[in-house]
Amino acid sequence: MKNPIKIAIYSGVVPSTTFIERLIDGLAKKDHKIYLFGVQNKKIASRKNIHIISYVNKISKFLLLIKYSFLLSLYKTNEKKRLDNIIFNTKKNSRLLKVKYYPVLYHCPDIFHLQWGKGVEDWIWVQEFGMKLILSLRGAHINYSPIADSRLANKYVNLFPKLDGFHAVSKSIASEAMKYNAALQKTKVVYSGLDLEQMSFQLKEIDKKCGLKIISIGREHWKKGYSYALNSMKILKEMKIDFHYTIVGVENNEELLYKRSQFGLENEVTFIGKMPFEEVLKNIKSADVLVLSSVEEGIANVVLEAMALGTLVVSTDCGGMNEVIINNENGYLIPIRDPESMASTLFKVSDLSLKNYQNITCAARKTIEKQHSHEKMIHEMNELYLKVLKN
Amino acid sequence: MKIGLVLPKVPAYSETFFLNKIKGLQKNGHTVIVFANSTEKSNYIASKVKIAPTLSGNIIRVAFVSFFNLMYSFLFHFKVSIRLYKLERQDGLSFSQSIKNIIANAHILSESLDWLHFGFGTMVFNREHVAQAIGAKMAVSFRGFDIGIYPLKNPNCYLKLWGKVDKIHVISNDIKELVLKNGFKGKAEIIKITPAIDTSFFKNNEQSFTSLKNNFITIARLHWKKGLVDTLEALSLLKKEGVSFHYTIIGEGDAYERLKFAVHQLDIINEVTFTGKISPELVKDKLNNADLYLQYSIQEGFCNAVLEAQAMGLLCVVSDAEGLSENVLDGETGWVVSSSNPKYLANKIKEVINLNEIEKNRIIIRAKERIKREFNLQKQQQEFVDFYKIKD
Repeated sequence: MKNPIKIAIYSGVVPSTTFIERLIDGLAKKDHKIYLFGVQNKKIASRKNIHIISYVNKISKFLLLIKYSFLLSLYKTNEKKRLDNIIFNTKKNSRLLKVKYYPVLYHCPDIFHLQWGKGVEDWIWVQEFGMKLILSLRGAHINYSPIADSRLANKYVNLFPKLDGFHAVSKSIASEAMKYNAALQKTKVVYSGLDLEQMSFQLKEIDKKCGLKIISIGREHWKKGYSYALNSMKILKEMKIDFHYTIVGVENNEELLYKRSQFGLENEVTFIGKMPFEEVLKNIKSADVLVLSSVEEGIANVVLEAMALGTLVVSTDCGGMNEVIINNENGYLIPIRDPESMASTLFKVSDLSLKNYQNITCAARKTIEKQHSHEKMIHEMNELYLKVLKN
Repeated sequence: MKIGLVLPKVPAYSETFFLNKIKGLQKNGHTVIVFANSTEKSNYIASKVKIAPTLSGNIIRVAFVSFFNLMYSFLFHFKVSIRLYKLERQDGLSFSQSIKNIIANAHILSESLDWLHFGFGTMVFNREHVAQAIGAKMAVSFRGFDIGIYPLKNPNCYLKLWGKVDKIHVISNDIKELVLKNGFKGKAEIIKITPAIDTSFFKNNEQSFTSLKNNFITIARLHWKKGLVDTLEALSLLKKEGVSFHYTIIGEGDAYERLKFAVHQLDIINEVTFTGKISPELVKDKLNNADLYLQYSIQEGFCNAVLEAQAMGLLCVVSDAEGLSENVLDGETGWVVSSSNPKYLANKIKEVINLNEIEKNRIIIRAKERIKREFNLQKQQQEFVDFYKIKD
């Protein structure tokens, strides 16, 4: 590419979540210049085409402010004045905003790609300096936060029409965002991509002697619907099915501890705290079935990972999950908030013939290869950037 | 008799349970001292209040407060402090923890009491020996969270307590079961004293139950324990079956987003109102306008709101969580449904709203009478006076 595009991928922290980091790596390999701004919470090795402008503590934050105040005063005097005016008008803590904004103004990327919806008000100013503002439409920020918070909903309604482009993680979230004036023609659905070489498929066999090994993975949050999963496990136990259920990512949650004790499931249900990504993958591989019990999701990455690795998935039909899973073909879809359906589906899984189990997991892998490859994600994101720059 | 009551904070105006207990004891000639960890605003309370030393925040301040309290205890209450230190050490506590406990309990060590009563189980930690050190009898109340949930996160947390406590107060039979389940071997007496309400405030003069408008109501903190998501799911089932209703939730809390999303996802936005926190008079007003009270909790000590609703003449459908099945007698003064199953709740609500007027009135009258008879403040006051009587 003759003229590399300067892209800021902004999530506020460096490094960001696994899937945002994958995006960053892929774009850098396309010879774009990537800028990462924000708080750095971990050391990371320097990579080609990736520029990190971050701070780790109060001192480095202060030095960063001094450095960019100086650079802007010297080279972008007028722009600095305009930005200072904008900062003044927000009536927020101006020093904090300067630390966040000055480096962005100085480097002035072509595209400022904001990862979380709630930050949109803080970054709308970049457009006044010629930067294009793109927002990723992900999970909670679109699906339920604005429902409970009408002020946030109003902000979205007023600001979304001004944005240059939207990246939606699923078709479902794209249509949800339309309620807040995110125009469909500005929105591109780009599915999350996995590094499929790293995630090799394993054709599995269910070891019927050990009972059904069920796993769920995800942070401790009500939207994950673990309480429904526990209700299902109670039903499975009443059906005298031999199983063990593990939730990874939950350790000392009162509600779940209480329910486990109330249902007498101490021997059947284990809670394990957060673990490194590699460990998570190992756990998925060793389970017979991965359950997603959520009431809301964009598209859950953990489901994509299980499908890639060869572990059968039972998922609620929430958010964009039905864009990945076709019931009975490459996994199972169950209604949200329905422990009985979950239990009967898990019973069905425990009763699957080896051939049927493998047919489903093979179909799942094919879906992931077709729809969720890393290359496809980078290619499509690139298309979105080019389209926005063209307009 | 001099009775010390250990509480997390000075009881607020709305905390009838403690205020009424204190009043009752004072009326009977006892002196009550409240030991609180913190004071919120200026809560008026007609008894002596002592606040625990603040041992968090600014390190210099903490160091100063610690030094001052330690010196004070050793200079003016030497015997008691040494006794506490020895007891702690005998129990295997480290030197530093034993000293910390003297500092943290300095406000109690300076009083001589007949009884030291911990208002919640969770108030006893690092204070297990204080009563013995000051030569008082030790009582502990268990009310719900402290015995139903806290030990799940902190297994065996009460093992040190069981051998030392002289009397245990529980608010329901289920809580008593939980005390036994948590390792108590039955040396001290366990006495049930249920909560009580001001039946002269919560009353409805309308003698008969008129027509049902399907106005449902719940007063609860917005918290997972209260089973509000299950309740909303039950109501969405009713809506699907063509039952029309309106449901009001009074209260605030951190589950607001979860509940609001559920209302949206379950398509009952027009049927559900969240009022937030409102004044007692407005609460009474809302109760007057409702006809069915729902309390489908997952975990619940006893629940005053259900007592109040019954006193106000509302039909009550509750879950079987802990004390609720004593609060409401199934089929007699309301209905009890097993918890965590929205389908059961929906069916029960349908059954109740389809009852004939005579049957509904029969339940309402019985509930009102029972509340007046068994859950009035005078009865509770007498029970607490009796609680502290020492048998020879």
